[in-house]
Amino acid sequence: MSDESKPTPGGLLNEAARSLHPSAVKDLLSLGVCERCILRLVTVTATFDSDLATVSSSTLRGWLGSGVEEAASPEPSICIVCLGVLQFVFSDAKQTLVKSDHVAWITDLVKQQGHEFDSFVLEVSLPSTISENERAVLLYLKGKYSDEAWLQSEKVSVKDALKVLVLDPLRASLGAKSDSSSFHIRLTYSQASDEAQGLSETKHERKKRKTDEENGSNCMSENPFKKVSEPCILSVHCNKMPIFFGGRYFKYSRNVSQSRWIIDDERMGEASVEEIIGGSILPACLGDSYKFHAAGREDIDVRMLGSGRPFLIEVQNSRKCPSQQSLTEIEEKINNSEKKLVGVKDLKFIGSECWAMMREGEAEKQKQYAALVWISRPLEEEDCNSVSSMKELKILQKTPIRVLHRRSQLERERTIHWMKVEKIKGNAHYFLLHLCTQAGTYIKEFVHGDLGRTTPSMGSILGCRAEIIQLDVTDVKMGDS
Amino acid sequence: MDIQTTEVARNPETDDLIETNKQKQQEDEAKESPENRDEEEDELRSQLLSDIGELPLTPPSATQLNFVSYFITDFTKSGHDQYIYRHANGLCVIGLAPTHIAFKDEGGITNIDFNVGKSDRSVLKVSGKRKKNAMRSESNTALCKVSTANDSYIVRCCVKGSLLEVNERLIMQPQLLNSSADREGYIAIIMPRPADWTKNKESLITMEEYKEKKGVSL
Repeated sequence: MSDESKPTPGGLLNEAARSLHPSAVKDLLSLGVCERCILRLVTVTATFDSDLATVSSSTLRGWLGSGVEEAASPEPSICIVCLGVLQFVFSDAKQTLVKSDHVAWITDLVKQQGHEFDSFVLEVSLPSTISENERAVLLYLKGKYSDEAWLQSEKVSVKDALKVLVLDPLRASLGAKSDSSSFHIRLTYSQASDEAQGLSETKHERKKRKTDEENGSNCMSENPFKKVSEPCILSVHCNKMPIFFGGRYFKYSRNVSQSRWIIDDERMGEASVEEIIGGSILPACLGDSYKFHAAGREDIDVRMLGSGRPFLIEVQNSRKCPSQQSLTEIEEKINNSEKKLVGVKDLKFIGSECWAMMREGEAEKQKQYAALVWISRPLEEEDCNSVSSMKELKILQKTPIRVLHRRSQLERERTIHWMKVEKIKGNAHYFLLHLCTQAGTYIKEFVHGDLGRTTPSMGSILGCRAEIIQLDVTDVKMGDS
Repeated sequence: MDIQTTEVARNPETDDLIETNKQKQQEDEAKESPENRDEEEDELRSQLLSDIGELPLTPPSATQLNFVSYFITDFTKSGHDQYIYRHANGLCVIGLAPTHIAFKDEGGITNIDFNVGKSDRSVLKVSGKRKKNAMRSESNTALCKVSTANDSYIVRCCVKGSLLEVNERLIMQPQLLNSSADREGYIAIIMPRPADWTKNKESLITMEEYKEKKGVSL
């Protein structure tokens, strides 16, 4: 020891190792428990830190002072507790034993999945038999060395031990930090065969053990500790948390639905806003899939004009995040496409405030529309005045017949904030009705009355029959904008 | 022509959100200078006006566009002609056809009573998307009784299905049946099951067949 005040990395461990109960250690070694598991189970304090990773198992074995002769076998015998996890012995998906450096192997698999990242979160999933194995060994030890101090302390789990061992080298190998991150690397260990490995109990055995424990007897010592023949299969899967893009969309076509609409294998309309926008963003993110969210919706035959409707695109497991430049290019490509079906404005990356943005001003959302209306008698000057003078008109709408099959039968009160009649040159039976209404108002039904189930309606106000020819949304106000 | 705009009252909750989006707002403000706003409004106007196509004297009504019209004549009794307007979503609106015998009586229909059969149909309340508590009706289940000065006639469902609603406005305004039996004077809305409808359809006739049979022009 060169420096008394600062112990060498292996020094603390060395001491801890030497302080272990020698016959317990001998016992476990002969049963087939690996060195790291022994350190975990037999120490008094949980001193399992990253220094352990730098110590090889043969050095560990030397420290543990074992007298048991181990034939220099090329294949290490697999630990009956951790099934080789802490020995870095595992097979790949094809069940071939991986002989190379485990960190390099994991790094390769991570890089193959193609994500761009500078930080990650490590997740580990282990087979449940490992904790059963550990419990069995602890029971055995309790039976033999009851009431020793080191038996009472809480043990570092295999999962935590693995994370400690792997995290630093993985950080270095990937060139990334490991703090809170939206990029997750999951190491999943699964058992090679369906048969229980090691010491895991069958249901029957578990019941027997539980009742025996209640009765005060311990039957585990009767079971031999079977040898583990195959290591676990390790698979590495990376997942990036969803990222969001937002903006406003315009719908110029009366034959385009908002989201993909298929009835009996046939598509309704010629395209959908969702697919046009999502289909352009997904490839730029190299993601797995996308979800489209919009602040409200309009019918397939209603255009969305004016300031556009706010929307969000959620991309699952994106491999890279496109730059604002790329997003602007995507926006231009959609806007300049040959068939002007859909337009996009202000497309940008949105952070965690995305949902707040959608909810913003929901209670105060007002919508503005322009409807082409036909009436059964000629329009008069008086009509224009009486319509414009109606402010905050309250209407009662029964659930429209066209949605009654999938909505509750309800009577909804809604407000028409203002209306304005715009005459059409040369035609007294048609006019453009501009109106601003409360969110959730059915405009078509307000015009034609839905067989009298919406009152008052345009027809009842003007005292004649009214029909709506076409409808456009001219503004979707969000809160203060 | 000016388009009126309404001020939306400032809400303290959204104020906080606006603070965090300040930069975004500044960008938006730069875009929304008076000239830009006028430009946008002009563009909107041209979009609205350019889309006005040909304007026929009498366009097809919402009923004609969204429903398929069926008729049944002399249902259980001579002269009892009714219409069944079926929506694309399967719902059927039931009412009196123009040639119904009740309209021939002087003064037309004066009263309607939904309290027929075992219960008052105007009292039923259907709840939820699954339409719980809807009365299950057969095609000959009585819906209501309409009365004229001379006589009264039973109107039946004609369609087997769940009765979703009856037009209770008729109780206070029975004259709707005389003025617009095919619109505001509808009698009930029934939701048949797909299998029931396919069977039912066989006893119904189309608009063309109805016109021919009754010699009317609609």
